[in-house]
Amino acid sequence: MTTVPEVPAVEALDERPVRHGLLRYAATKAGGALLSIAMVIVATFFLFRLLPGDPVRALAQGRNMTPEQLDLERARLGLDKPIPEQFLHFVSQTLRLDLGVSYEYKRPVLDLIGERIGSTLLLTGTALVMAVSLGLWQGARAGWKPGSRFDKISTAISLVLWSVPTFWLGLLLLMVFAAGIGPIPGIFPTRGSSSVDKPAGFAGVLDVGEHMVLPCLTLVAVVYAQYLLVMRSSVIDEVGQDYITTARAKGLRDDEVRRKHAVPNALLPTVTLVFLRIGFVVGGAVTVEAIFSWPGLGQLFYQAIRVPDFTLMQGTFLLITVSVIVMNTLADVVYHLLDPRVRSA
Amino acid sequence: MRKLLAVLAALCLLAAGPGTAVAAQPGQKKVIKIGVTQSVDSMNPFLAVRLVTGSIQRMIYGFLTVPDSKTLQPSPDLAESWTTSPDGLTWTFKIRQAKWSDGQPITADDAAWTFNKMMTDDGAKTGNGPAVENFQSVSANGQELTIKLKTPQASMLDNPVPIMPKHVWEKIKEISKYDGETYPTVGSGPYVAVEHKKGQFVRLEANPDYWRGRPKIDELQIIFYDNPAASIVGLKKGDIDLIGRLNPPDFESLKGDGNIVQWNTQGRRATYLQINHGATTSDNKPIGDGHPALKDPRVRTALHYAIDKQKLVDEVQNGLARPADGSIIPPLYKDFFWEASGAEKVTFDLAKANKILDDAGYKKGPDGVRTMPDGSRKLQFRFSIHTDTPIEEKLAEYLTGWFKEIGITLTTKRLDSSKFTEETGTTALFDIAISGWSVNPDPEEVLGTHLCSRRPTATGEGGGTESFYCDPTYESLYLQQQKELDRTKRADIIKKMEERLYVDAPVIALYYPNDLEGYRKDRIAKITPIPEDKGLLYGGSGYWPFYTLEAVSTDAKAGGGSNAGVIAGVAAGIVVLALGGFFLAWRRRSASDERE
Repeated sequence: MTTVPEVPAVEALDERPVRHGLLRYAATKAGGALLSIAMVIVATFFLFRLLPGDPVRALAQGRNMTPEQLDLERARLGLDKPIPEQFLHFVSQTLRLDLGVSYEYKRPVLDLIGERIGSTLLLTGTALVMAVSLGLWQGARAGWKPGSRFDKISTAISLVLWSVPTFWLGLLLLMVFAAGIGPIPGIFPTRGSSSVDKPAGFAGVLDVGEHMVLPCLTLVAVVYAQYLLVMRSSVIDEVGQDYITTARAKGLRDDEVRRKHAVPNALLPTVTLVFLRIGFVVGGAVTVEAIFSWPGLGQLFYQAIRVPDFTLMQGTFLLITVSVIVMNTLADVVYHLLDPRVRSA
Repeated sequence: MRKLLAVLAALCLLAAGPGTAVAAQPGQKKVIKIGVTQSVDSMNPFLAVRLVTGSIQRMIYGFLTVPDSKTLQPSPDLAESWTTSPDGLTWTFKIRQAKWSDGQPITADDAAWTFNKMMTDDGAKTGNGPAVENFQSVSANGQELTIKLKTPQASMLDNPVPIMPKHVWEKIKEISKYDGETYPTVGSGPYVAVEHKKGQFVRLEANPDYWRGRPKIDELQIIFYDNPAASIVGLKKGDIDLIGRLNPPDFESLKGDGNIVQWNTQGRRATYLQINHGATTSDNKPIGDGHPALKDPRVRTALHYAIDKQKLVDEVQNGLARPADGSIIPPLYKDFFWEASGAEKVTFDLAKANKILDDAGYKKGPDGVRTMPDGSRKLQFRFSIHTDTPIEEKLAEYLTGWFKEIGITLTTKRLDSSKFTEETGTTALFDIAISGWSVNPDPEEVLGTHLCSRRPTATGEGGGTESFYCDPTYESLYLQQQKELDRTKRADIIKKMEERLYVDAPVIALYYPNDLEGYRKDRIAKITPIPEDKGLLYGGSGYWPFYTLEAVSTDAKAGGGSNAGVIAGVAAGIVVLALGGFFLAWRRRSASDERE
């Protein structure tokens, strides 16, 4: 009898600090993230100035330029000023969300990113969703009965795909499914995100879809393994737990125990992984975009490195790092929200 | 799960409907697709620097002159005719009576505005600034354009500046910030740009008002491939119809394809070795860390004798090149090409190379490596090449082998391209480097890269040298050819310059790589190279091949085939997936039923 009034009291005691704790936790994490971002901004500036190569000469691309013209270019790019001044300028610009003007395209970096970000999000977003769903589903099934034939095959396939170089796999898919080999006809396009004479309306959507198949497949193949493996080991951990035995003892169907009890708990460790990947999704997949000439941020970054176009590299690099930091922070907070064990720790 | 799959399959069937409808559209328009491996940097000709953009500009805009399709000599384009004052300083061009693609008349004022803009606005200098550097003033009077020069300039007729329509471009406030993305563009070339999807393609339509007459095809698409291997696949599959600038392995992979014509002809490039023969800045101060032995012309000549150019052609270039017995202007340019003969000609002869070095006092040590006559340093040179270029790796292997035979050690140094340009063109931190240049119909530019003034400044900046060369004989010949307006006499002077480079050997020409291209004969019925007898297609100068291009009639097999195939493929794939999913779900259900 005495325990009955105590229960709400305990809950109240438990609840309040948790809510406050969450806020405080989120604030601390956000603070940490801001600090990281500040450090990234500083690092970006110096990192790209340490790289070899004189951007002005590189821009000239072997054309003859008189010293006067080179000086003019230097002045235009602000490279004639002392490093501390360049640094202050860079920081104040970045804080105002101005990423500068691309050396080579002579246009604001932010505009160039804006033009490309859509197709990157489309490709990597779709791939992420597919990789996550496939990886988690297959991982859960594999982990539920470790050692089974399904488990052995899934683990083997994922490990092979995980270790295959992306570039090689992409080229292989391109050779087989775009060019066609033997009895396999070449059906998919060799490049880009749409045909030059892209039809309007739904046929246009289909056109983009058909261009997306190979790059998307490559991305899914290389990233889904990590979800599979994490989910698998996480489910294996859960299988031994008492609550699973209890659920089985209640007479629930095996299938139901897995789906309703084991999987939800096993999902937790994958949260961080999913969020981290979202961070990378913004940056695109440099290799995959380069193989399939996919006009996204990854391709932009790849081309910027080849010039080298410092402002463009700086801008895309900043965007990618900042989104990874932000997503990482979000992952921490969401995790905190989802998992009571982290809260009490 | 089953429901989801059913929805997917239904969607797929729905999709197949409109998709096939599109594919069935009759292909009345004659379209030719060109694959390129460089994307467009800017559609504003005042700003663009990339090669691909230059080629596209050649098709959209008129120039004062174009290389003649047979002789490659300057021939009339927007300028119908021209005269030069006796002192070579005043050039008068008569501008053709023609129309811009928007119907406005073309006048000399357009040309004058274009040049004056570049001379007065720093922002407009980015693309072609050097072309107007020697201009004193430019003025227009009706159809007559007058250009006054600071010093005589024989290459005046090879002016690389596209003439822009004043009435369109004068409205743009800041040229340096304008992206030029307004379509259709207003131009005076055979094509009009109608669409540019960044990083993907540029679409050009035939200009019906073009002064030579409308091109025979309706549309030209320049399609960008980030990955050269994918572009080869694209050509084989028919996604593109023509591709230029192939390397030998890619070119050979096209062999045996009945639909593809392999285009193998003389190229416009020369591949040569650049030797750090004592690099100096423009105020004659030594710069860099080149090996002192390379200052000795005898050592350079010995190196030259130790190179089997024919073997390099056969085994490094797969036979798709011509060994160089001359200088840096390839034989494609018959007028200016010079080749060594007689005693002057250097042929592969290791014994002779060894003898030259023995006589010059570079003694072999017990390890077989020679040392400087004063014993201070061994003859160990670095060879700078670009990272990830298999051909240069292979070249380095061969050179290392031969040089070892004459007691010289060669170690390969791999650099990424910007570092490479810096070390071999500005800081001179190299011994021997791979080099090469694409030569224009007027060779002045490539000859100019060996001038004293092109060396970096005292502060170690800029320039644009290809050799750190500075030689009074060469310098005076350069000035002579610049003033010589008689083409034959000028060519003779230029040949003397080539000879000087050959004998003094600050650079050693190895071979002239062929121009390797490929096109689909089921799509392209006729294409005239430039020069017409045995010239280049995409890689050539000017728009000639793309103006004369004739497409195979598209009525029979209009492009739709692949699209329909894809849709069938996707549908089949989804059906298989759906069946598989259904089977799995069914098995799972039955299994759990059994358990219950």
